[in-house]
Amino acid sequence: MAADLAAAPALDGAPLLLGRNDNTSLTKSLLAHVWAKPDRGWLLSFMIALSGTGALTLAIVVTLARGIGTWGNNIPIAWGFGIINFVWWIGIGHAGTLISAILFLFQQQWRTAINRFAEAMTIFAVLCAGLFPALHTGRPWFAFFMFPYPSDLQMWPQFKSPLVWDVFAVSTYLTVSVLFWFVGLIPDLATLRDASTSTVQRKVYGLFALGWRGSGRHWHNYKVAYLLLAGLSTPLVVSVHTIVSFDFAVALLPGWHTTIFPPYFVAGAIFSGFAMVMTWLVPARHFLGLKHVVTMRHLEAMNKLILVTGMVVSYGYMMEHFIAWYSGNPDEWFVFYNRATGPYRAIYWLMMFCNVVTPHIFWFKWMRTNIAVMWIASIMVNVGMWCERFVIIVTSLHRDFLPASWGMFYPTWVDLTLFAGTIGFFSTCFLLFLKYLPAIAVSEVKELNDELQHPTAMVQVVTAS
Amino acid sequence: MSIDTKPQGRTYVLGLFATGEALVKACRQVREKGFTDIDTHSPYALHGGDEALGLKRSAVPKVALAGAMTGMFGGMGMMVWMNGLKWPINVGGRPPVSPLSYIPITFETTVLLTSLSIFFGLLIMMRLPQPYHAVFELEAFRSAVVDGFWLSVAQPAGSDGKDAVRQLEAVGATQVSVVKEAVE
Repeated sequence: MAADLAAAPALDGAPLLLGRNDNTSLTKSLLAHVWAKPDRGWLLSFMIALSGTGALTLAIVVTLARGIGTWGNNIPIAWGFGIINFVWWIGIGHAGTLISAILFLFQQQWRTAINRFAEAMTIFAVLCAGLFPALHTGRPWFAFFMFPYPSDLQMWPQFKSPLVWDVFAVSTYLTVSVLFWFVGLIPDLATLRDASTSTVQRKVYGLFALGWRGSGRHWHNYKVAYLLLAGLSTPLVVSVHTIVSFDFAVALLPGWHTTIFPPYFVAGAIFSGFAMVMTWLVPARHFLGLKHVVTMRHLEAMNKLILVTGMVVSYGYMMEHFIAWYSGNPDEWFVFYNRATGPYRAIYWLMMFCNVVTPHIFWFKWMRTNIAVMWIASIMVNVGMWCERFVIIVTSLHRDFLPASWGMFYPTWVDLTLFAGTIGFFSTCFLLFLKYLPAIAVSEVKELNDELQHPTAMVQVVTAS
Repeated sequence: MSIDTKPQGRTYVLGLFATGEALVKACRQVREKGFTDIDTHSPYALHGGDEALGLKRSAVPKVALAGAMTGMFGGMGMMVWMNGLKWPINVGGRPPVSPLSYIPITFETTVLLTSLSIFFGLLIMMRLPQPYHAVFELEAFRSAVVDGFWLSVAQPAGSDGKDAVRQLEAVGATQVSVVKEAVE
């Protein structure tokens, strides 16, 4: 028993932290990218991202000025890009909470290097997601009608509608994600304040650090609060995508009205979120010089999780198709037949290829540890998951019960610009985050470093027995 | 003879230790000598730091529970009142008060209120944001959130802190400083 436990770390392969680090060197190396002057690569990416944000602004202005008639959705496809992109973005956000909260509760030490990064992604992705339903209402300046507030109209929200549940779920998710992220950031903001030599930086970071002084009396409450927030975020993240899936599952439309939607949506969300983390993490660890903290061990663990969640998603597809056939309901079966052979079959098969076939390359260790392979695979999963939302929404709506009301959906330039624009906006936020805040949770990595150098009491006792 | 009426701030004696373990050990020893107003300052939470400071169980879970209860009953009550009593809405023939369909939002309001109460409760317990604290008078103290392990002993106003300095040197502090709290 003693030998097993002592040998266990060796079985995990690559180390969590490379080289010999101490608190001084970790602070220096993890904050180096914040102090460094923006290099040409960052400026170029930022310019591209910023033009995306500009395009987004333009598309929003057009939508507001001319109305959502500028979008491609119409009867019978009343939910077009707006809801596809909403579901896609919110799903991407879920990986951040999973990494920061669920892996924290399971005491997965490897999460420490990437949680800050993934949490930031969550917040920016939810911001992008929230934009779509708000614009889709057509008059977003009345969006506050969705919240329960005492009005002269005596008009209360209709709380039996999944769309109203969604409002509560997404706004709660955004609030809790921001709180969790900020609580985690406080010690690092203090580190930024005190490691900086510039007066301006000391003042600005000091403002947000709230006067943190690493006090033991503070840590005492802080640890409990962080654990509780992690514990709360875990069911929250599951509830959010469950409620998003209710938007579909509660409707009586074939292709939507299935009980497997909640778990299948949650798995898909985590799948796409992990892929997005990989898409950003692979270049970021290279350009920010974080390879000693985000090691191959982390990347490999992420790829394994992509494989697992990918297979859960595949199971969801399988069950959906099986039940459509097994139910003997001709309308239900037609939807799935139409998805595979109808006018949108190309997107259906692209989805199947990206989501069902791609993850299986990660059975092989050399694929799991190959940077180029994992980066391309992560982008394919992102594409595949976007196609999945397209397939669910558009193909279910475009040919419903009455052939006379069949129709087709084509996105307009405003649709495409809005979508591309949110990617630009997301990238803008992310690049600013990578420039001004530590991409890695510095205090947590120092603690991990301490634990790795001084094995905990439990292991020592077991080894001695 | 003029009496100095200017109020004086408290005195803080700060000792630097090489490692977290040394700090925890020193903290326990100093507390056993009868210094009660002490605190550790470290870049991350110290293993055994709570016991060394003699802290009781954190009150955060209680605050969280209060928030959870408020969110749960408040959320459910809000929907029952708004959709069931104040302005009953008939949706597909379902009863105006149908608690089952209120569960998703009840869950969300519970989580929301719990998280908000944890966050604001935590800030109140830590007394943050705090723009000024005497320990920052010492420039070297900035290492407390970088790589330094500090023990601070607060002494009443007017004290020269000699006892505490001697004590910190005795338990192995590598550097000891005395700072006075600034008073407006």
